[in-house]
Amino acid sequence: MSKKKYAIVLDDSKCIDCKACTMACKMENHVPTGLYNYRIWVAEKPIRGQFPNVKRSFQPSQCQQCENPPCVHVCPTRASYQTEDGVVLVDHDKCILCKYCMTACPYDARYVNEEIKAIDKCTFCYHRLPEGRQPACVETCPPKVRVFGDLNDPNSEVSKLLVEHETFNLKPEKGTKPKLYYIR
Amino acid sequence: MSLSKAKLSRRKFLTLSGAALATATAASSLSSLKAVASSGTQSESTNSKGRKFVYSSCAICVNKCGLVAEVNNGVIRKLNPNPNFFKSRAMLCARGNAGAKVPYDPDRLKKPLIRVGERGEGKFKEVSWEEAYNYIAENVLKVIKKYENRSAIGFASTEGFQEEFFIHLANIVGSTNTVRHPTLCLASNIQGYSSVYGTFPDADILNADFVVMAGSNRAEAIITPDTIDMAKNHKKQTLVCIDPRATKTSAIADKWYPIKPGTDLALVLTMINIIISENLYDKEFVEKYTHGFPELAEHVKQYTAEWAEKECEIPASEIYWLAREFAKNAPQSVWYPGRRSSFYVNDVYYRRACAILNAIVGAFDRKGGLVPKRGIKLKKHDFEFPLYDFTKKRIDSGTLPFLNEKLPEEFKTSAGLPTDSCAYISEKDGSWVIYRDAALAGNPYPLKGLFVYKQNPVESVPNRKKTLEFLKQMDFICTIDVTMSDTAFYSDVILPESTYLERWDPAESLGGIVPIVVTRQPVIDPLFDTKSMHQITVDLAKKFYDMPEFWEDSTEDDREYLKKYIKAMDVPMEHLIEESLSGYPGAFKMLMEKGVFYLNDKPVYGKLLEDGARLKTRTGKIELYNVKYAERGLDPLPVYRKPSQGKPGQFRFVVGRHGQFTHASTQNNIYLLEAYGDYENALWINSKVALERGLRAGDKVKVISKAGEQIVKVMPTEFIRPDIVFYVHGFGRLSKGLSLVYNKGASEAAILYDYAETISGNACLHETFVDVQKV
Repeated sequence: MSKKKYAIVLDDSKCIDCKACTMACKMENHVPTGLYNYRIWVAEKPIRGQFPNVKRSFQPSQCQQCENPPCVHVCPTRASYQTEDGVVLVDHDKCILCKYCMTACPYDARYVNEEIKAIDKCTFCYHRLPEGRQPACVETCPPKVRVFGDLNDPNSEVSKLLVEHETFNLKPEKGTKPKLYYIR
Repeated sequence: MSLSKAKLSRRKFLTLSGAALATATAASSLSSLKAVASSGTQSESTNSKGRKFVYSSCAICVNKCGLVAEVNNGVIRKLNPNPNFFKSRAMLCARGNAGAKVPYDPDRLKKPLIRVGERGEGKFKEVSWEEAYNYIAENVLKVIKKYENRSAIGFASTEGFQEEFFIHLANIVGSTNTVRHPTLCLASNIQGYSSVYGTFPDADILNADFVVMAGSNRAEAIITPDTIDMAKNHKKQTLVCIDPRATKTSAIADKWYPIKPGTDLALVLTMINIIISENLYDKEFVEKYTHGFPELAEHVKQYTAEWAEKECEIPASEIYWLAREFAKNAPQSVWYPGRRSSFYVNDVYYRRACAILNAIVGAFDRKGGLVPKRGIKLKKHDFEFPLYDFTKKRIDSGTLPFLNEKLPEEFKTSAGLPTDSCAYISEKDGSWVIYRDAALAGNPYPLKGLFVYKQNPVESVPNRKKTLEFLKQMDFICTIDVTMSDTAFYSDVILPESTYLERWDPAESLGGIVPIVVTRQPVIDPLFDTKSMHQITVDLAKKFYDMPEFWEDSTEDDREYLKKYIKAMDVPMEHLIEESLSGYPGAFKMLMEKGVFYLNDKPVYGKLLEDGARLKTRTGKIELYNVKYAERGLDPLPVYRKPSQGKPGQFRFVVGRHGQFTHASTQNNIYLLEAYGDYENALWINSKVALERGLRAGDKVKVISKAGEQIVKVMPTEFIRPDIVFYVHGFGRLSKGLSLVYNKGASEAAILYDYAETISGNACLHETFVDVQKV
């Protein structure tokens, strides 16, 4: 069996900032309450123009599941690691809360989970994948902004979307090679 | 990188705690049981070991989306979308997801309560159900005897699968005074559209090419499937957003017009004029299916684009574009029949105009246009409830001397609006603001007892001060709810209902372009000493049956009839569901196995356009000119009148929805409150205006109307017109039982003035003007 390479392709032009993704993630992964505790979020892009010529738009985001993850490189205890199929995870037992990974992450994608005393972040709902289930955010998203799948499978929806559409990554200059692709 | 908000939050966090290096601790596993235990609640459910998935439907708002609950050892781990449930397009929104925490909310009502302190003091004692029932029965009897009138006891409720049992209770008690939510919501909308089509249609957003969302904010006021279809389709569909605020709907719109509030009718009438005068209307359709076209054509000639430009503050060129595009894309054109754009005294006329606009381009009962709802007929449990001598007709119907006061000064003499009685009040729904005024005036008779189910009039009916007076003059108030709403807080007895995840609910047909049947089955056992509304009604029916004094103004036959009712209803809900589905073999099984039942998953168009079909209007046709209105002295065609204006320096206060909140009912859910992004609401005020007044973000201001005043912080924004202000509904609450929102931010009900639209009885939520003062 060939290795998988999981990714999410997002068409954020459809996003209405309903925060279903954030909430599904909080419920699925027991993210504690607190205004700044989240694995994924929806941000409002900077306002363009002034009343009445003003345009709103949103950008959902999360851990970019980098192919070249700085968080893994800096972690002194190897709590942050990368699975064979390229998903970046945190071993909560090994985490010493030094927060190097938080500082290293260019996407601000990690938070301190005070309940388990460890750094926490998006796992692509790694525990759901063996059951053939989608990440909770993908499953619940009303307009299906998010599509999840295997880039190594040319027939997967994500692979097809990348062929059909021009996409971009966030902060490509950081050289982290994110596996979140935004449709332009 | 544009994640400005997220970034700021993180930075703040790092500066606060970044310096401390934590010592290594063994992280505990993330089990759901632990998460529940840490929130201070624990499941009593022991009969369901292991992991299971249960189909049910959401009840956090009106949509009833399909869900699959994942339950671990009797504790809800997660609510997931039901992939079979096409009405909600196999999704669950933020509120639906956060519903998983509702049964475990520490603020839940856990046992029946009887008030021991003064009303509103918040002192209650826990009692048994039997004690609570006795207390209720005694007090009901006392009110009936004292006023020799069963209608002296009112019943207030909002929609929900168990609401039918609450209405049964009203029938058993013998009151005609049921007041429901529509006049705080869409009664004028239903009246307006129905006066043209004989029905209130849905919009076929999935197949429409051109959609106008006027005021209706479907990105935040989520309605399935419309919101999802609109967001999914936005690249191939033209979406025009007309709203004095740049809502989240404007984010996916092709155009946004910040219309001057209250002038929507001018815009629609002008579009009708352009479409007719440029011959862009569907002649064949108009000829065959409509009544009163020549009168309409003559009437709208006065409404020119150049005139409308001044009224609406939308350029004439844009109005021409809008009218022409709307006609060009027809019949795949929709003027969305949502709410809010025009909660004014002339709202029915505005809705009539919207319906007429769609009709003249032939976009009715056709793919991509407005399509009448269809339903799946279920076997009904119909009862002939007892007849009592002491029952009187509705308190808010007939001629009411105070009705004139329900109109703003400049509308009191205007033709086309009744000033002595409400023209078309619904027999079941009533009119909230008129009902309350009638009770306060004791005219035509005193209303001295009140049952409230699932509704919270203290925060949902405009003019909170009046609602509190209305409650104060009651001899007796009983509230049935899941949490201590503001209304429960002012009640004498409170009955705790089981949440939607802990009970069976009857099967309901959800009408729509593609109708479905849904139900609810318990996902977990009830956590506390709670009951369903169904059980409460049956229990109280038994109580009344056993009281001889209750039957003094009735006959023995009537009493016997109640016995039949009890016998039929005192059965497990599963039996009632099976009975109501008995016309469809296999339906119950499908409902249990797929979480939804339907006959067909494809829409059907054109039923009302078939030869011989009649609409439910007087002429049987689409009434551009309404025959009944003309007979009653109402304008048969929509006539534009300028909206009322505030004094110089005042703002019009507009209302609106937020994607995390269902009216005033979800603010106390910590997850949704945090998803909203703050623990209190804030006043939207145009940035330039704020600058002129020296107001900066976070400053506190007093918002003053003639109904009341509230203090709230300021949020200057580019997303709002300079002449209006807005804040989100549901904050600044009075109930100490809502620990997260008690006294936080500002209440909307406290400042909204309570004018009524006197054709449908709808509350005019946009007729409030406020002063804003720095404090």
